[in-house]
Amino acid sequence: MATQTKASAQRDNPKWEMVVDLDRCTGCQACVIACQAENNIPINEESAFHEHRAIQWIRIERYWEGEFPDVKARFLPLLCQQCDNAPCEPVCPVFATYHNNEGLNVQVYNRCVGTRYCGNNCPYHARLFNYWEPVWPEDLRNQLNPDVTVRTRGVMEKCTFCIQRIRRATRGGEPVEDGTLQPACAQACPTSALVFGNSNDPDAKVSRLKTDERHFRVMEHLGTDPSVTYLKQVDVDG
Amino acid sequence: MGLTRRRFLQWAGATGIGAVVFNGCRVPDHEIQVQSPVQIPEDLVTGRDNYYATVVQGPGSSEGLLVRVMEGRAKKVEGNPDYPMNTGKHGLRAEALLQAAYHPDRIKTPLRRVAKGGPFRPIGWPEAIAELTRVLTEADPSRVVLATAPIRGVLADVTRRFADSYGARLVGFDPLDLTVLRAAIKRVFGQDALPDFDIARTGYLLSFGSDFLGTWLDPTHFARGYGEFRQGDRERGYLVQVDSRFSPTAAAADEWVYVTPGSEGLLAMAMIHTIVSDGLGDDAAASALTGGRGASALSAFAPSAVAERVFGETGGGAERIRKMARDFASADHAQALAIGGGSAGAYANGLFNLTAIYALNHLVGAVDPPNGGGLVFNPPSEEPRITAAPLREWKQLISDMRAGAIDVLLVRDANIDYGLPGSLGTREALGNVGTIVSFSSFLDETTALADLILPGNTPLEEWGTDIPDPGPGYRTVAFQQPAINRFNDTLSFGDALLETGRELGFGDQLPWATMRDAVRDTARALHESGRGSVTQPTFEEFWKRALERGGWWDMNATASAASAPPQLPTAAASPDLAGDEDQYPFFLVPYEAHGIGAGGFAHLPWVQSAPDPITTVTWATWLDVNPTTARELNLHQDDVVIVGAPNGRFIHVTVYVNPATPPRVVSIPFGGGHEHFTGVAAKRGANVLDILADTEDAETGALAWAGTRVRLTKTRTRVRLPKLEGDELAVQLPGEEVIEVQHVRR
Ligand code: SF4
Ligand code: SF4
Repeated sequence: MATQTKASAQRDNPKWEMVVDLDRCTGCQACVIACQAENNIPINEESAFHEHRAIQWIRIERYWEGEFPDVKARFLPLLCQQCDNAPCEPVCPVFATYHNNEGLNVQVYNRCVGTRYCGNNCPYHARLFNYWEPVWPEDLRNQLNPDVTVRTRGVMEKCTFCIQRIRRATRGGEPVEDGTLQPACAQACPTSALVFGNSNDPDAKVSRLKTDERHFRVMEHLGTDPSVTYLKQVDVDG
Repeated sequence: MGLTRRRFLQWAGATGIGAVVFNGCRVPDHEIQVQSPVQIPEDLVTGRDNYYATVVQGPGSSEGLLVRVMEGRAKKVEGNPDYPMNTGKHGLRAEALLQAAYHPDRIKTPLRRVAKGGPFRPIGWPEAIAELTRVLTEADPSRVVLATAPIRGVLADVTRRFADSYGARLVGFDPLDLTVLRAAIKRVFGQDALPDFDIARTGYLLSFGSDFLGTWLDPTHFARGYGEFRQGDRERGYLVQVDSRFSPTAAAADEWVYVTPGSEGLLAMAMIHTIVSDGLGDDAAASALTGGRGASALSAFAPSAVAERVFGETGGGAERIRKMARDFASADHAQALAIGGGSAGAYANGLFNLTAIYALNHLVGAVDPPNGGGLVFNPPSEEPRITAAPLREWKQLISDMRAGAIDVLLVRDANIDYGLPGSLGTREALGNVGTIVSFSSFLDETTALADLILPGNTPLEEWGTDIPDPGPGYRTVAFQQPAINRFNDTLSFGDALLETGRELGFGDQLPWATMRDAVRDTARALHESGRGSVTQPTFEEFWKRALERGGWWDMNATASAASAPPQLPTAAASPDLAGDEDQYPFFLVPYEAHGIGAGGFAHLPWVQSAPDPITTVTWATWLDVNPTTARELNLHQDDVVIVGAPNGRFIHVTVYVNPATPPRVVSIPFGGGHEHFTGVAAKRGANVLDILADTEDAETGALAWAGTRVRLTKTRTRVRLPKLEGDELAVQLPGEEVIEVQHVRR
C-alpha cells in the first residue's frame, strides 16, 4: 500500500532537510532570534561581535553588489547544512560529532574536548565555540528551554535542526504529518522562506521544493552534499 | 477524538496548531513529562508544558501569540496560527517579550521618592495607591495630564474612562506617530480605520517610504503576504520601492527608486498627471481627482516640470516618471497597489505626499478590488482607541508644563523626555511639573524623573484585548491573557487605574473589579452577538473557546465602501527642510531601527543583538554615509563624526560606509542614546531625536522627523562598530557566487 510504504519510509528512515527560498527572505532576523530563544544560545554581547565570536546557529549574511545607485544587498540565511559528506566529522578525535541515521550531523556536547578541528574544517562557518562560560542574569534563566542542554565553556555547538522538537514529535513512532514539525527558525519565518521536512516522504513540501527549477546548494563543488537546498533569488532584468 | 499523551507531545513539538491548551491560569489536569533529547535519567526533565494564546499590540501592529509555559515559566513565544494578522508567524520583538518579562532591571516593586530629587524608597501597593489617590484628590483635575503610549482595546476604554471621570487631559505619545497616515487615509478614502493591504494578491506594488518589510506598521503581517507575492501560486509580483534611503524593503524590491527627500508626493502627482493625460486609468476617478478638469488641473505636476526636483539632475528625468506611471497602470500584471508612509510622510508636506500616493489607487481600481490585491478597508472600531497626539499638541503641553500649569503628570510608557525633539526642552519643562507618577515597568528617562512609580506588568502578564489597526479587513478582537503569573510586585496599569478610580469615588464609571472582568465584559458582548468565529451556547464555554483561540473575528463584519476620490491640490507643498543647503549640505533621513524601533525596545538584549539587516551592526548607533561622500570628507569606517543640526544641537555618531546610501543623504537609526532604561540600553549609541528640528507637517502638526538638514564634522575619535560582518566589504566574488540568482526578463 502506498500509505504503508510512505509511513514506513517516514518512520524507519526519515531524512530531515530544509529548503531556503532566497526570493522570499527579507533578512528580517526573526529566525535568528527564534533560534536564540529555543536553543538556549548565550546572549551575544557587544564584545562577541567585536571578537567575531557571536554565537548564532542561523545567521543572515548580507552581500553587497555594486554601489549607489546601482546597488543590491542580498541575504543568505546560513545554518549548519547537515552535510551528508560532512568535513567536520572525520576530524573529531573523540567522535563528538557524527552523522546519525536521520541525516543529521550531531554534536555530543559532553564528549567534546574543544579541539575546534571540526570548526576549522567546516566550510560554512556553521560551528561556534564557547570561548567563555555562558552567563545569563539570574532572572533571565527562567526563560531557558528545559529540553535543550546549556553548553559550557570549551564546547563546540551548532544548529541541530531543533533535534529536541524532532525527538518530541517522533517519540511515539507515528509518522509526522508534513508541515507540523518545524524548527524554531522555520516556524517564525514571516515570509515562509524556510521549509523543513522529511525528504524521504515524496509528498513532503521539502521534497517538492528541493527539485524546483531554482534549486542550488551553497558551495556544492566542495562535495559536502548538504541537506539544505536553496532556491535562487529572482532578478528581473530591465 | 481524545487527545492522547503521545499525540500531545507530537503537537507540542510541532507548530502548535490546535495545541492551544488553556485552562485559565490554573494547572492543567494531566501532568506531562518532557524528556531531554539526551535520554539519560539525569537529564529527565519533569514539567508541565502548556501553551497559552495571547496577543501583543504595537502602534500599528498586532501579533497573536502562543506562549509555551513550563512550571510557570514562559519558555518560548510562537505565532498563533489561528490569528488572522500573523497566522502562526512572529517577529523578533515578539520573541523578546520573554526577556521583558524576566528582565533583571525591571522595577520590581512600587517606589516613592523620599524627597524631591532624592532617592527612591520601595513601598507596598496599598501605600502606592493611597499616595496616588492623595495626589489626585489634592490636584485640580484641569491641571492633570495622563500621557500614554498608544493603546487599543479594553485598556484604552479603562484609561479613557478614568481620565474622563477624573477630568484629566488624556494624550497619546509615540515618537513616530501615525497622524499623517491616518489623515491621508481619511482624506483619500473617507476611512477612520487604517486599511489592510492584500500584498499576496497584488501584482504590482509601489511603495513610497514605507519600510513594510522592516518596521512600518505590521511587518510580520505584511511579510506573510510578501512571501506569497513572491513565490505563491500566482505570477511573481513586482515591487518598486520609492525611498530616499536603502531600507530592507528597498533591498527586497525589484526596483529601488531614489528620490530627493520630501519629493515623494511630487512624483506621485506627476504619475497621476501621466495616467490622467494619457487616459491610462479609471475615467471617473480621474475626473473626481481633478475636479472634472482632467490633466489641465495638474499642469504644475507635468513630469517635465518636476523630474529634476524629484530625481536631481541624474535620475532619469521625465521619461522615467512616465514609464513608472505606465507600468503602474498597465493591465499586464495583476492588481496594482500604491502605499506610502514612513519618511514619505515625515516632512512639512507629509500629508500632501501621502494624499497623492494613496490617490493613485483610485485610478487603478485598487480600492477594494473584487479579485483581491489592493486595499482592503477595515470596519471602524467600536471601542475607543488612544492614538498618539501630533507634535503640535505636545509642544503646547510642554509649554504648559514649563509655565507651571501642569500639577500632575501620569505617564505610562510615554517616554517624552527621550522621545520628543531635544529643542523642546522637555526635561526642563518636566522640572516644573508638581508630581510625576509613572506606571512603566522599566526606569526609562521619564520614569527616572518620577516622584512615584507604580510599576506595570509586561505584556505576557496582563489581561486585555486588541482590535488590530490595521486589521485583516473584518472585525477582529484578540484576547490577551497572562501566560505567566506576575513575577515581581507589579500591577497592570489597568488594574492600578481601576483601583485608584474606586478610591477616588468614581467606581460607577469604571464598573469592573479587575481588568479580567473588563475583558470578560467585552467577551460577553461578543457572545451575545451570536456571530463570528466562536459561538457557544453558554458564556463560559464561549470564554474558554475564545481564549483558546486567542480571539474572535467575524469575517462578515467588513467596512463600508470608500468615499469618492478627493480633489487633489493644484500646487505642490514644500517639504520645508530646516537648514540651508550651503551650511547643512546633507539630508538627514533617520529611520526606525530594525530591532529597537524608536527606542522602546532598546532594553531587550536579543533585540539589541539582532544585526541590522542592511549594515549588520548590533548594539550601537551609526551614521550611514555614501562611500564617495566619505572619501570626499576623508571619513572612514568607524570614524566618529559630529552631526550638527541648524538648531545648534549635535550628536556624536560612528560612521558606517554604506554602498547603498545616496551621496547627499545621511541616515541614523532611531532608538539609541538612552541615559537610563536598564543597563542594556543605557549609555549606548546616540539619540537622533535629540537634534531634529521641531518642524511639523503643515496640516496635521505631526513631527516632520525627516525634515532636518545636517552637517558633518570629523573628530579624531574612532569607535569600532560591533557588527556581524567582517572588516572587509562582503561582496559576491565573480564566478564564485555563494548566492545564485535566476535572471528573468520583464
Ligand atoms: S555545515 Fe559545517 S558543521 Fe554542518 S555538517 Fe557541514 S561541515 Fe559539519
Ligand atoms: S525569518 Fe525568514 S525572512 Fe526573516 S531572515 Fe530568516 S529566513 Fe529570512
